[in-house]
Amino acid sequence: MSNAVKVGLWSGLLGLFIVILFSGRSILMAGIIAGVFAGLLAGARTDGTTMRDGMRDAAIAAGVAGVLLLLSNLIRHLLIDSLVAQTPPSLIDQILVGLLAAAIAVVIGVAFGAAHFLNGRVGLASARVPASSAATWALLGLVIAAYPFLDQAIQLGWIGIVITSLVFILLAMGLNVVVGYAGLLDLGYAAFFAIGAYTVALLSSDHLGGQTGVSIRLSFWLVLWIAAAMAAIFGLILGSPTLPLRGDYLAIVTLGFGEIVPIVFRNLDRLTIKIGDWVLVKNFNLTGGEPGISPIDPPVLPGLNFADRTDQRPWYFLLIAIIILSMILINRLRASRLGRAWMAMREDELAAASMGINIVQTKLLAFSMGAFFSGFGGAFFAAFVSGAFPSSFDFSVSVIVLCMVILGGLGNVTGVIVGGLVIELSDRLFLPQMSLFLQDLAKANPTLEWLQRFDPNLYRFGLFGLVLVMMMQLRPEGLLPNARRRAELHEGDEPAEPVPTATAS
Amino acid sequence: MAVTPNILEAAAVTKQFGGLTAVNSVDFVIERGSICSVIGPNGAGKTTFFNMITGVYTPTSGSLFFDGQSIAGLKPDQVTASGIGRTFQNIRLFNNMTALENVLVGMHARLHANLFGILIRSNKVKAEETRARRTALDLLDYVGIGSERANEMSKNLPYGDQRRLEVARALATDPKLLLLDEPTAGMNPQETAVLTKLIRQIRDERNITVLLIEHDMKVVMDISERITVLDRGIKIAEGNPEQVRTNEQVIEAYLGRGAAAHGKGGRRPATSQ
Repeated sequence: MSNAVKVGLWSGLLGLFIVILFSGRSILMAGIIAGVFAGLLAGARTDGTTMRDGMRDAAIAAGVAGVLLLLSNLIRHLLIDSLVAQTPPSLIDQILVGLLAAAIAVVIGVAFGAAHFLNGRVGLASARVPASSAATWALLGLVIAAYPFLDQAIQLGWIGIVITSLVFILLAMGLNVVVGYAGLLDLGYAAFFAIGAYTVALLSSDHLGGQTGVSIRLSFWLVLWIAAAMAAIFGLILGSPTLPLRGDYLAIVTLGFGEIVPIVFRNLDRLTIKIGDWVLVKNFNLTGGEPGISPIDPPVLPGLNFADRTDQRPWYFLLIAIIILSMILINRLRASRLGRAWMAMREDELAAASMGINIVQTKLLAFSMGAFFSGFGGAFFAAFVSGAFPSSFDFSVSVIVLCMVILGGLGNVTGVIVGGLVIELSDRLFLPQMSLFLQDLAKANPTLEWLQRFDPNLYRFGLFGLVLVMMMQLRPEGLLPNARRRAELHEGDEPAEPVPTATAS
Repeated sequence: MAVTPNILEAAAVTKQFGGLTAVNSVDFVIERGSICSVIGPNGAGKTTFFNMITGVYTPTSGSLFFDGQSIAGLKPDQVTASGIGRTFQNIRLFNNMTALENVLVGMHARLHANLFGILIRSNKVKAEETRARRTALDLLDYVGIGSERANEMSKNLPYGDQRRLEVARALATDPKLLLLDEPTAGMNPQETAVLTKLIRQIRDERNITVLLIEHDMKVVMDISERITVLDRGIKIAEGNPEQVRTNEQVIEAYLGRGAAAHGKGGRRPATSQ
């Protein structure tokens, strides 16, 4: 079986899964997703050497995916919709929509297949995007920009979930600086997320003003930076006593910080500061305790309405902008004197010190820069959900973000994004939907009643565990590994390829 | 800065590990611009001595002056920043970084980009980065690896090139004194000859003082201007190659008392590894 067909089958199965789970409405989205997958993978794995080969392979892959999509629509229509007692549109409509989705998949697939061969050859390359993938990035950018409009048009309603997932991806990118680049295992990353969120909550809500009478309601655009800076400063404060520790000890201490910070926020609702007999503050509600702080002012930008929370598209684009900014900053760090020092330190601490690298200071900077990006994440998140609640920052956040980094591939930003998408979308989109789907089935069919007791949502951590164990066994370098890591982990079983120049930037 | 004739002056340097005295009250000077060697049988304390100079260990007692400044007790990065570069006995490259990146890491202390400059990628940082790359590529050419292999992972380089890359990385720290810990260990005779030539070049062309620990007596006798012999932590001899070669205590340390009685004259202390 040729590569293209194989890729097409996988992309088609993904589409099929989406369509069956989310009903026929999702088929156009499934077509786009399958097309992107088919085009990206077929383009990357084609044996051909010309753009035509690439486009042909991508077309085959997307075509196979398209057939599966059409099929999935029929399955959904004939088998499932009747089971869950929905009244579907007519069969002929379904076939037409299926064909449309297949066509979309092929067009997008071919575009990505072509882009793969245009990479590095078109004048799209700028200082920010490596020339070797400029065309693909440009195309992906289009898809990303088009997504919210499409979501709106076909009333898919995924956008809120996608935004939350992207927040976690932003966190994973920041954690990747600490764990992937500098090799410091941080199990309490959620603490900095919380600090970013509470900074925004305090500085751009009525919470403090309501109690003191002095209202400070700063603009989101300013607070975003203050939050990131606060997180970075706390990174320095928390890091300075711990970072001289090595490996496991560091992990344990960060685990502790991750637990302490939410507890502190939970309990600073009756703050009393007494110095001798002099009471500076009495029963001051700093953090809102368990119910947290809410509401928080939305950002204000002419032309965009952030206040209308039924339309989340402005939030989506704001977050995409923050993520792109973070990617640029992280790339700059990576390709700098500092990034090299992080990697050198991870490889061999003594040798790094002997090259003039101040180990403690360099570790602190890694810790603090990682925290900086989670400050971005926290600030956005607090504004987006219009509140900061201590329960949003518990240990599971740190664990999930770490899983995203490991699943995607330590040290590779693209990999981390892919890993994050996989974990977050399965966790927030697919599992809950599967739950609903099974419930529907059970309700409509007495024979399937046992399904009612089976809720996949409850098994999410079990599934995480399973996926992680399987990853460690089958592909320890992650889905899209950093070339260096792969070489490290597969020492001996394949000739390591030379890293494509890290110098071109 | 006052230029002292000796770039390194160690006086009564001692290092004890618990009850074991690894280096015992050694006096030692390196003349500026010379090539010196420290030799001695296994366990003589050579590497411990090296590690005290480079800041890995703090001397238990005694003083260490580099270029007129005390370096005893400084951390490795501070020692490097003050102008001492080093290589390691067992190659300690950053395996999963490219040859170029390894050399660039060596320049760390000579680059000035700060966090803010990096984040906004100021023109100053860009220019510095470009200059650093050029210098690093030149260094790769200089040690004979060749700048065309700059993007190869250092662990994929052949053994001899890895040793040379360590030298390039140490040179990148812009040292006044270069410490080489068994630079020719594991090399074949041709590779050794090339490296020996390189060491001499480094001194002649770059005006860098070189201190070697070396087991290969041919190399030591060939390039050293001054040799210090350690045995069981004590300095037993010092002088030019001819003086050391014929020194009875040295022969005895290497070959045992019996051999010293027989092997007077022409016999060289054998390579012990």
